[in-house]
Amino acid sequence: MHLVRDVLDKQIVDRNQVKIGKVDGIVARLRQGKPPRVIAVEIGSIALARRLGPRPGRWVAILAAKLGGERHAKPHRVAWSKARDIGLDIEFDIDVRKTAIFDWQVWLRDHIISKIPGA
Amino acid sequence: MKKLLEISLGVVTSVGGFLEVGSLATAAQAGALFQFQLVWAILLGTICIIFLVEMAGRFAAVSKHTIADGIRERFGFNAFLWPLVSTFLVNFLVLSAEIGGVCIAAELATGIGFQLWALPVAFIAWLLLWKGTFGLIEKGVSLLGLVTLCFVAAAVILKPDWTRVAISSVPSLPHHDTATYWFMAVSILGASISPYLFMFYSAGAIEDKWDKTYLGTNRAIAGLGMSFGGSISIGVLIVATLVLAANGITQVDDYHQLPLMLTPVFGFWGFVLFVASLGIACFGATVEIALQQAYLVAQGFGWNWGEDRKPRDDPGFTMVYTVTIFAATIPIALGLDPLKLTIFSMALTAASLPLTVAPFLFLLNDESYMGQHRNGVISNTAVLFVVALGFILAVVTIPLQILGGS
Repeated sequence: MHLVRDVLDKQIVDRNQVKIGKVDGIVARLRQGKPPRVIAVEIGSIALARRLGPRPGRWVAILAAKLGGERHAKPHRVAWSKARDIGLDIEFDIDVRKTAIFDWQVWLRDHIISKIPGA
Repeated sequence: MKKLLEISLGVVTSVGGFLEVGSLATAAQAGALFQFQLVWAILLGTICIIFLVEMAGRFAAVSKHTIADGIRERFGFNAFLWPLVSTFLVNFLVLSAEIGGVCIAAELATGIGFQLWALPVAFIAWLLLWKGTFGLIEKGVSLLGLVTLCFVAAAVILKPDWTRVAISSVPSLPHHDTATYWFMAVSILGASISPYLFMFYSAGAIEDKWDKTYLGTNRAIAGLGMSFGGSISIGVLIVATLVLAANGITQVDDYHQLPLMLTPVFGFWGFVLFVASLGIACFGATVEIALQQAYLVAQGFGWNWGEDRKPRDDPGFTMVYTVTIFAATIPIALGLDPLKLTIFSMALTAASLPLTVAPFLFLLNDESYMGQHRNGVISNTAVLFVVALGFILAVVTIPLQILGGS
């Protein structure tokens, strides 16, 4: 498998087929004398901003921490061991509702969208 | 039989959805100042959009990716940022222009100034997105859009010199106002080849759950729908030539000059038809572009998206179209001239084309996405041509805007 071609920027869905984001970053562990091993994928604005450069990465991390608290000061990580199916999307055996990834969407829903009649 | 029905419905939808503020305004201006001479630009733009729409639909049906998904996945986030930002901004301006078009129609119908209509228009469009389904928006609004066929009827009734129309399908050099001529050609191309059109089409193919069995349907819809649509623009240009130019109106610099286009043919009903066409066509485009903004962002970042979901199931997606649609009313509510905004945003659309069209060359030839349905020689030649045209347009637009824009 080719990591950048087949994994990076692919759609991620959780076990309920909810689209939770794209593979915004890949985390690999360097090992002495052996090839590096992928341990997780990263999702979210901080991971994306880091791809543009270290400075945007720092700025977005500070902003995210201000807006969302400590839980959001680092990119969201999903362990690679949870990956189930790599096809059109990559399915991870997690439930997005039990992670912090969708905190902002939940906030948006609870504070704004659900206040508008007909939501 | 089912396929035939699907094809007819698809064709009708694309015809009804074809005309919008940009194609209407640019064709009317071109007809008034240069008579039939710019028919070639509409023709060229239509041929380009046929190819792009066919490819966008084929890509979605075969790879199950929208164009936005495809660009991000194939080229990575950093490269995707360019088309994302440019399309987002251009869509925003075009959206504003479309809202302006509906507002002008409302002003013509009621006599109440267009600025005051911006918010009510945005609210109705938003309500349709909030409550409606994709099918309702795609089919309902486009069926109403068939009223724009009145321009074709008027063009035929006016009995133009068809030989002159046919001769004008070959590009020729202008005899006067050279810079304006080329600027108008650029704006017409921008109005015909709109990125929102083919990106929306690819998202629609996913919403309608297309697969490989739809490839024939897709080809028919792209070919027939866009050709008929283009003929409405040519209809507008012919009517503008025979009514506006013939009555000495060569400079169309105000939407208020336009309602008279259809009165020599249809009398008072001509006025009604014009207002209905302008209002419905621009309203349809308003809804589609706002939806496309939400598709673009949600697909780009991998959120849940889909117009058939309840707003609470995709809050991010819902938020994007809500904010965009209301923010786009600001220029109109402040009284910015909708016609100036239209022409400006059409030229900018043309300038942004390379960023959205160049990826087609790679996506449609990638075996991992397209398998055996990759582009053939003809499609690749067409896409190369559009990319080249896009680069030329991108380079010449700004200088022409300064020299030839009004």
